Amino acid sequence: MDFELTDEQQLIREAVREFAESEVAPIAAEVDRDHRFPSELVPRMAELNIMGMPYPEKFGGAGADNVSYMIAAEELARACATTSVILLAHASLATYPVYKFGTDAQHERYLHDMASGRRLGAFALTEPGAGTDAGAGTTTATLKGDEYVLNGSKIFITNAPFAEIYIVFAKTDPAQGTRGMSAFIVEKDTPGFSVGEAEHKLGIRGSSTPPLYFADCHIPRDALLGGEGDGFKIAMQTLDGGRIGIAAQAVGIAQAALDAATAYAKERVQFGKPIGALQAIQWMIADMATQLDAARLLTYRAAWCEDQGRPYGTEGAMAKLFASETATRVCDRAIQIHGGYGYTESYPVERNYRDAKITELYEGTSEVQRMVIARSYLR
Amino acid sequence: MRIVVAYKWTCDPEEATARADGTVDWSRAKPGLSTYDPVAMELARHLAEQAGAELIGVTVGGKGVGAPIASKAVLGRGLDRVVIVEDESLREAGRSELAAVLAEAIRHIGDVDLVITGDSSVDVAAKMVPTVLAGELGWPAVAEVAAVTGQAGALRVERAIPGGVQVLEISGPAVLAASADAAVPRVPGMKELLAAAKKPVELLELAALKVPQQNAVMTVVDRARPERKARKGQLIDTADPAAAAAELVAALRAAGAL
Repeated sequence: MDFELTDEQQLIREAVREFAESEVAPIAAEVDRDHRFPSELVPRMAELNIMGMPYPEKFGGAGADNVSYMIAAEELARACATTSVILLAHASLATYPVYKFGTDAQHERYLHDMASGRRLGAFALTEPGAGTDAGAGTTTATLKGDEYVLNGSKIFITNAPFAEIYIVFAKTDPAQGTRGMSAFIVEKDTPGFSVGEAEHKLGIRGSSTPPLYFADCHIPRDALLGGEGDGFKIAMQTLDGGRIGIAAQAVGIAQAALDAATAYAKERVQFGKPIGALQAIQWMIADMATQLDAARLLTYRAAWCEDQGRPYGTEGAMAKLFASETATRVCDRAIQIHGGYGYTESYPVERNYRDAKITELYEGTSEVQRMVIARSYLR
Repeated sequence: MRIVVAYKWTCDPEEATARADGTVDWSRAKPGLSTYDPVAMELARHLAEQAGAELIGVTVGGKGVGAPIASKAVLGRGLDRVVIVEDESLREAGRSELAAVLAEAIRHIGDVDLVITGDSSVDVAAKMVPTVLAGELGWPAVAEVAAVTGQAGALRVERAIPGGVQVLEISGPAVLAASADAAVPRVPGMKELLAAAKKPVELLELAALKVPQQNAVMTVVDRARPERKARKGQLIDTADPAAAAAELVAALRAAGAL
């Protein structure tokens, strides 16, 4: 057994950290405060081949392994959780189904642009009445001649309206339930497709998550991804990998909070000595560091399983469950260590705390992860 | 045109700790590219892109400088290939000896038109190697280089000097030490890092190089910390700033500090 990262994984961590510290971290607080989507970072990440890291070079990606990709997501989240989710929604949720289930023609038309980061992607599954129960969506796609006609709406769609390519899930046969769900590639300016107002959120405030509306939106028949009825399978397989990314994001947020808390514990003097000399603080730091390390190991293990071609659904769910709940806990403790100052915008831990919470909710709540894990043990 | 970047793979002293006897514990310090060397590489890269030159990294040192990660780290920053002399006898070598080995490695490469180094090494920071190396090669040495343009045999070098910039034209090969802020190093792209392992790495045996014997041997035989004077702990306790300033000045004069 070898816990050492490869040379490439170590160098990728250093390079992404260099980018994150020099270009992402300096704008993170402003992006959060102003609820601003950091558009300027997308072409920079494309230039550094981060936007399509795990996809083969022949499709425009970097050809990196998934562990490296998770390290990159973690390092970005350490600087700015918003920036990491822009990457994850694009690469893990929107690009993956095109890569995995797309035809040669769809690869030619979309995958190169997506994996190279030239065109941003979004994943549209959630609906007002279909969150955890993803199969309950009511958006429909009706075949009329050589076109499908989409009707319905989606909510909480990360990267909209900045994305140009949307993976949209709709029922082609509503009577069949989840087996009647299909996946489609929809381009930004398609008539009948519009984007609503962005939500104002507790955290990851720079990430845009507006609703999408489809009103007699005609798309070509060859926009179907996979076969009719494959949508639910495509969504679930995509989310299996996406969850590892959210785990990595949670690890990055928690690392930022731990870094801030340890720095503060060394410099804040009370009772004539740095508070880090007090056992009450030391125990908090010890627990935070231990839990974070465990979360990181689970995350890398899940990504490694994917790299090895092994099943990774359960491992990804475990990583996401543990890392997200760890992130919330670590950020909570980081604020505790900062005392009243930690509750103010003068220190980054309040942003870390708000950003961490979403990792317990999106791409499957903690309850869904527990369902996935339990099912694999009780089947 | 052939440009060599002489770089150092070493540990950052900020990651080391000082023992009670004054010696340094490097065991927890992770080796990496010396802080200012990416600046030298960026400066060289600008010139190489402009002049269509080959860019070769050269390093000499003890065990570890030839580790694959060390080569990949520099090749990922745009160098075409690297030439390495890794020999444990060089770990504690002085600047003159390192420069002499570097000079032989550069002669081995042959037809080198320019050598660029970083401003100083992160661990020793003596700023001597570029000058001694130039002496070994019989080439001119220029420090504090802010920019370099031109072609082999016709280089135009801008050098930061107090209060301004000096512009030099150099008609032959030279050794340039980049100033610390001569260029902003590019963050390596993921593809560049992943392709680094495919680029050529040449390992040279120290014994096979004709490095001249050093005429004198220099060894560190003792270390001492500067004598620490006891603090007086004198407090100026007054609410009146003018009186406090006067009292401070008087105290400093009395101590002979002013």
